[in-house]
Amino acid sequence: MPNMVVCVKQTVDVYQLKPHPETQAPLTSQAQFKNSDFDLNALEEAIRIKEKHGGKVVVVSAGPDVKPLLVRECLAMGADEAYVFSDPVMARADGYVSAAVLSKLIEKKAGGWDLILCGEASLDENAYQTGPRLAELFNVPHVSYVNKLEWLGDRVKAWKSVEEGVRVVSCKTPAVVTVGLEINTPRLPSLLMIRAAQKKPLNEVRRAELELTDEILTPLAEVIEVKALKTERRRQVYEGKPEELADKLVETILAQGGGKR
Amino acid sequence: MKALVFSEKAMQAAGVAAYLKSVLPGVEVSAASFSEPSQDELGLLGGAGVVKVWMLPQSAWAAGEPSASAALSELVAKTEAEILAVWASKTGNEVAARAAQRLKAPYASECVSVEKTSEGFVAKRLVLGGGYTSKVLLKHSPFVVSLKASAEVGVGGQKPDVEKFNVSSSGPVIEFVELIKPESAHVELEKAEAIVAVGRGFKKKEDLSMAEELARLINAEIGCSRPISGDLKWLSEERHIGLSGKRVRPKLYIALGISGQVQHLVGMRDSRTVVSVNTDPNAPIAAESDYFFVGDVYKILPLAITRLKEKLGS
Ligand SMILES: Cc1cc2nc3c(=O)[nH]c(=O)nc-3n(C[C@H](O)[C@H](O)[C@H](O)COP(=O)(O)OP(=O)(O)OC[C@H]3O[C@@H](n4cnc5c(N)ncnc54)[C@H](O)[C@@H]3O)c2cc1C
Ligand SMILES: Nc1ncnc2c1ncn2[C@@H]1O[C@H](COP(=O)(O)O)[C@@H](O)[C@H]1O
Repeated sequence: MPNMVVCVKQTVDVYQLKPHPETQAPLTSQAQFKNSDFDLNALEEAIRIKEKHGGKVVVVSAGPDVKPLLVRECLAMGADEAYVFSDPVMARADGYVSAAVLSKLIEKKAGGWDLILCGEASLDENAYQTGPRLAELFNVPHVSYVNKLEWLGDRVKAWKSVEEGVRVVSCKTPAVVTVGLEINTPRLPSLLMIRAAQKKPLNEVRRAELELTDEILTPLAEVIEVKALKTERRRQVYEGKPEELADKLVETILAQGGGKR
Repeated sequence: MKALVFSEKAMQAAGVAAYLKSVLPGVEVSAASFSEPSQDELGLLGGAGVVKVWMLPQSAWAAGEPSASAALSELVAKTEAEILAVWASKTGNEVAARAAQRLKAPYASECVSVEKTSEGFVAKRLVLGGGYTSKVLLKHSPFVVSLKASAEVGVGGQKPDVEKFNVSSSGPVIEFVELIKPESAHVELEKAEAIVAVGRGFKKKEDLSMAEELARLINAEIGCSRPISGDLKWLSEERHIGLSGKRVRPKLYIALGISGQVQHLVGMRDSRTVVSVNTDPNAPIAAESDYFFVGDVYKILPLAITRLKEKLGS
């Protein structure tokens, strides 16, 4: 029965995020937070494996201000317990720091594990690196961009999406797998599950317990500026009957050069 | 200053090498390869200014990404390269991340540019769904970047020397089972002058025929949002546009039943004119359109197709 760890990052909700009208910097402090999209796919996959093969699902999350309510969402979906490292130092974390902190959380708190699941990329950083970094730290195989996964006991078989098509691979466990949005549709927890999740353990872990030194917590890559990309569009809106819209659409397309050979 | 470039494909390695040469004057670029480069490939690399090709054992590549990155890390250390620059294919990203961890090196992935500033090396990349650019300072060397940037490769440069490099390190093994290739023919959306892009506003695969008919009439390529190729598999992966797909810049982009989430927008932002049809007047694509039609594709498209046929006489 597999012991699984799922790395779930809380990020700003990029779908609602607005830039400052003058500086163009993201207005992060006013933004909502959410669980990073693909991480919920990773969690869903772990829960499905558990439903089929038994075992345990532990959620780990690190961030400058990890919101318990969002962790509860993961527990309500079906994770058994969660370990959380919430520390302002994480505001500057790069992939190196994130992977180091997560590896300590896993090693010191989550206990023995057979499979770590991550999102292929986080919603905010979109770095595609934490999963492979974790695998390197633990010196285990990893498979990224997975859109179908089979748990085979001492191995996993994974279907990964690459530019050339789908690469089917297999590797020994313990292993790290990163997934994208295609692998499944994360469940929406029912009221009953939400209530049941209130009793599940959500453990806050401090810096000292993880033996995190300043060196480990110092990023090697430092973000020095973030600015919105701008495009100016005409924003002409057409409403009306389908016939009118269809005519106007055809007119617009032809005026914009559509139909030229 | 020494740089090592890597890609599974010589063409892309050459592109990255040429890019580095263009932005970092004086850089000495070597390339790593897990197979014996052909004369053509050596010509390409030479044209890009690569002075040396290090040949790593094929077996290190066959054993999968962990072992390929171990081999590359060893080469970086031995040759004292300050920069490891990898073409940001999916495999490239995996290899670069693991190599960065192994080398305890600063790493920026999927960069659109790299420059040397008074503060040090700074890479630019897209973040927050692709709606923002982030400048990242790589605080020491060696550092690792995966890049989607390339520059024109010259012709007739001197062919680089090839030298074997035997590795002593290895990584955990990934076994290859099979490659399932998509059936579709190759498309180059990046070069299309007009694109008709479809999203989840379409309810069934068969319904895409409306969009395909429109595309045929106006001589456009078909593109799509990620769920259409990824989740639903109605179109091939190569047609998906956005942060994790293609970045396109046609003269005309027609978005049909696409909400315009930030990750999609980044792929089509450079289009000259954007026309969209969506039932929801508040869809994010509205603000990113030049002409926004509030309506149902199922009602508007059949009428528009008939009308177009009249006008174009086909
Ligand atoms: C890290 C990451 C990377 C991603 N990369 C990409 C990427 O590269 N490309 C990408 O596209 N997405 C990407 N996504 C997914 C993205 O967030 C959205 O989920 C996706 O773009 C939505 O696709 P859609 O617009 O087709 O579907 P939806 O968001 O479901 O929108 C469907 C739209 O159709 C409209 N509609 C419904 N019926 C009709 C009708 N009859 N007529 C007209 N309109 C109708 C609706 O109003 C709605 O606006 C990524 C996500 C993450 C987290
Ligand atoms: N601070 C974090 N806490 C929990 N999981 C994380 C964190 N950072 C990254 N991850 C995991 O790593 C994946 C890839 O993130 P990234 O490398 O930033 O694109 C995410 O989808 C998460 O699964």
